[in-house]
Amino acid sequence: MSVTNDVDLSRIALLEAVHHQGKEWDVIAPRYGVSNPDPPWKTSLIGMCECLAVGGSLPALDRRRAEDELGDTVYIEVPAPERELLALVHVMLNRGLVVERDLASRMRTVRLRLQAL
Amino acid sequence: MNTGHKHTGDGDDHKAAPMVEEITDYEVLEIAVRELAIEHGLFTAEDHRRFTEWAESVGPAAGSRLVAKAWTDPAFKARVLEDGTTACKEIGIDWAEPTGVGTPSDYTNFLVLEDTPTLHHVIVCTLCSCYPRPLLGMSPEWYRSTNYRRRLVRWPREVLAEFGLILPPEVEIRIEDSNQKCRFMVLPVRPEGTDDWTEEQLAAIVTRDCMIGVALPRPGRTADVHPIRKAGRPVERSPQEGSAAE
Repeated sequence: MSVTNDVDLSRIALLEAVHHQGKEWDVIAPRYGVSNPDPPWKTSLIGMCECLAVGGSLPALDRRRAEDELGDTVYIEVPAPERELLALVHVMLNRGLVVERDLASRMRTVRLRLQAL
Repeated sequence: MNTGHKHTGDGDDHKAAPMVEEITDYEVLEIAVRELAIEHGLFTAEDHRRFTEWAESVGPAAGSRLVAKAWTDPAFKARVLEDGTTACKEIGIDWAEPTGVGTPSDYTNFLVLEDTPTLHHVIVCTLCSCYPRPLLGMSPEWYRSTNYRRRLVRWPREVLAEFGLILPPEVEIRIEDSNQKCRFMVLPVRPEGTDDWTEEQLAAIVTRDCMIGVALPRPGRTADVHPIRKAGRPVERSPQEGSAAE
C-alpha cells in the first residue's frame, strides 16, 4: 500500500473500471456535437464537495491535498472534472465514508433506474 | 407579430440542442456516491441542492466590489495586492471556508493583477477552465472555449481586438495562466471622469469582462454586451425580404 501525506494511493478496482472505459466528457461530447465544456453532473459534484466540507466529514483542504496527490499519480491520465470526481470518491472510500461493495451495488441500481423506459 | 420562426403542424424549424445520448459510469458514480452520502447522514439533499444552486448562480458582483473598494481605499488596495486571498475576507469572501460565498473547490492562492497605463493584464486557463469563481461567479462560455484559451496566449492583441479592445502598441500585455493552485483577477485602471463617484457607482462599471481583462471600465458601460453593428454596405435585398425581416 502506497500512502503519502495520509492519502492512500493504492488503486481501487471499482474506480479503475470507471476511468478505463474512456467515457470522459471531452471524449464523448464531441461525438454528439455537444459544445458544453462541462458534463451535467459537474455542479452537483461541486455541491457535494461543499456539503462534505460543511459537515466536517471531508475538510476542503484534505480533499484538495488528496486531489493533488491522486491527480499526479493514480489519475494522472484523467482530465478534469472526471479526475476530481474519482479523487473525491477515492478519498471517501479510503476514509470509510462509503464502502466499495455498497457503492458498486448502488451504481448498478442507479444505472438500471436511469436506463428504465 | 412576426418573430421569424416557422411553426408547422409537424413541429417547427427549431432543432433540439444536441445532447449526449448515453449514460456514462461517471454520471452513475456521481449519483451513487451522493445518494449513499445522504443515506449515511453526511449531508442532506436540501444542503446539496442549496450548494449546487449557488455554484450555478454566483455572479461577478463581489469582484466588482473589490475593485471599487481598491480604487477608493489605497490601504485596502495595498492589502489586496499584498495578499489577495486574505484581503478578500474584508469584502465577505473567504476562499477557504464554504460559507455559501466561498467554495472549497476553489481554495487556492488568489492574486490580483494591477493594471497601469502601460501594462494590461488578461487572465486565461490554457489547460481547462480555472477561474476565480468566488469573486466572478461561473466563467462565461467563451472563457472555456479552446478558441480563447489557445489563441489568447499566441495572439493577445488580435484576440482582444475581437472583443473590441484595441490597445496601443506601447501598452504591454501580460497574460496570466490560471491553474488549480493559483487564480487571478485584473484590477483595471480607474477611468477618468469618476473622481467623485461612490463605491457603488464605481462597482457598476466594473464588469466581469473588465476583471478578466478583455474590456476596460468606462463611465456609461455597465454591462458586457457586445452590440452587433450594422454593416456599412449590406447585401442588397428585395423590398419584400426587407419588410419580412423587420
